[in-house]
Amino acid sequence: MATGKVVVEKVGGRSTATSSFSKYPLKFLLPTKAAPAGTDVVWIYSITYGGGIVSGDSISCEFTIGDGCTAVITTQSSTKVYKAIGSKCSEQILEARIGSESLLVVIPDPVTCFSTARYYQKQIFRLVSDSNLVLVDWITSGRHANGEKWDFDFYKSINNVYLEDDYPLFLDTVLLEKRSNQSIAERMQDYHTIAMVILFGSKVKEIQKQVQENVKNMMSEQLQISYGGRSRRQNSESSSRNRFMKPEFIASCSSFGHEGKGVVIRIASDSTESVYNFLRQQLAVLQPLLGQAPYAC
Amino acid sequence: MEETIEEDERSESVVLLRSSCITQWSQWQLLDSILPTGGFAHSFGLEAAVQTRLVSSPEDLETHIIHLLDNTASLLLPFVYSALKSPDLETWHKLDRVLDATLTNQVSSKASVSQGSALFRIAASVFTEIPYLKTIRDASLGSKNVCFHHAPIFGLVCGLLGMDSETSQRAYLFVTLRDVVSAATRLNLVGPMGASVMQHRIAIVAETILEKWMDREAGEACQTSPLLDVVQGCHGYLFSRLFCS
Repeated sequence: MATGKVVVEKVGGRSTATSSFSKYPLKFLLPTKAAPAGTDVVWIYSITYGGGIVSGDSISCEFTIGDGCTAVITTQSSTKVYKAIGSKCSEQILEARIGSESLLVVIPDPVTCFSTARYYQKQIFRLVSDSNLVLVDWITSGRHANGEKWDFDFYKSINNVYLEDDYPLFLDTVLLEKRSNQSIAERMQDYHTIAMVILFGSKVKEIQKQVQENVKNMMSEQLQISYGGRSRRQNSESSSRNRFMKPEFIASCSSFGHEGKGVVIRIASDSTESVYNFLRQQLAVLQPLLGQAPYAC
Repeated sequence: MEETIEEDERSESVVLLRSSCITQWSQWQLLDSILPTGGFAHSFGLEAAVQTRLVSSPEDLETHIIHLLDNTASLLLPFVYSALKSPDLETWHKLDRVLDATLTNQVSSKASVSQGSALFRIAASVFTEIPYLKTIRDASLGSKNVCFHHAPIFGLVCGLLGMDSETSQRAYLFVTLRDVVSAATRLNLVGPMGASVMQHRIAIVAETILEKWMDREAGEACQTSPLLDVVQGCHGYLFSRLFCS
């Protein structure tokens, strides 16, 4: 039984939420003034009571974005996953159907798992060949200020995108779990945020090109400075220190699907803020479609 | 009368023994580094990890390799297992398609396709005692929907060569370890002697990794080191490089 359901359809030529239902612990806010008049979009804020997910909570949402509609799903702050009670897991399931020439933009704040938390997330997107999707999925290392760093017990995030008839287009499962012989922190080294961005469809084609170009330039420059220093054999203190420093922000892009219709960007960063900045800059061009820029303060 | 029966039994068991010996020759050849599957053109993200300075000491190298093996086991062993459990054309095609959607990292996807294609080409020409290998390869060559990813082909070949399931999955980790250790020596991170010592030391860890991840279906495939994936994706941005991946 779903805890939340929203249907967006064209009514009088405009994207409109024709039905919206949610129950504890989930609540949807659909502010009509999220976007300036004239922008054809529905903004859906997904809110949980208490600002997070308690151990044992199970949230499942269904979204249907009708043909030609645009919708944004977002949050108001990071999703906190509180300490686990026993071996109970907190879970969030999302399933979205995206119609023809529709655009769904999923731009939540990151998930933050408290120490010992157990979290399972599964997001399924069903597309037709001319659907469009922007998806951001990310996680931070935890409550940094409290000295928690990748200190949760279990995190599994599944993001699967299917084209009509269950054709697998993009399948991704990340599992981070504490094991007796190895901590998650060791795997993550000094990075505190891991993010993935999916851009799919012709409506985001320009952004795809731009982001790929930007990431390539950014990383090539960084790699050349960091690694090039080695061969030049500079003995100054700064360069020798540089040589042993990992980049604070690493990103890489790949295209997927037929004719590279999709692009995925993966990011590792030592701060959440730098990922917010990156997303803000790279996704700003969506503003005309969405009425406000993603992750604008 | 009794004697002839005994003799028959004996000759039968001799034939069986002989065929199992031949099988062993084939299985060893499959794992031999001289088999030209192109594994040595790949560093499995190690070169990118070195240039981003995630790996800058011998200790880093060993940790990196262990994480890589764990990620390989959780992500790819399920495809080896599922393919060898039913080594037929339909299962393989399905696994190939699912893996193509799963390997969303362009660098590792390309590496998987080039190694898989090479392995299938060689296996079909070398192991002529299994004509089915050539049959299904020929039937799939023209198809646009078949990518020839490595892990399911490895499982398929192992299955048809009669290698048992556990050995096949261990073998997959073995060739991965072999190739990344080889890449490490060519990147000058470790000498050939040190590399062999390290490879042997890691084998003990690799066995525990195998125990954790073996015998899982393709639907359970997951990544356990997302950081490795981000870094390997940077391979294309490297200014100078020795390896394809």
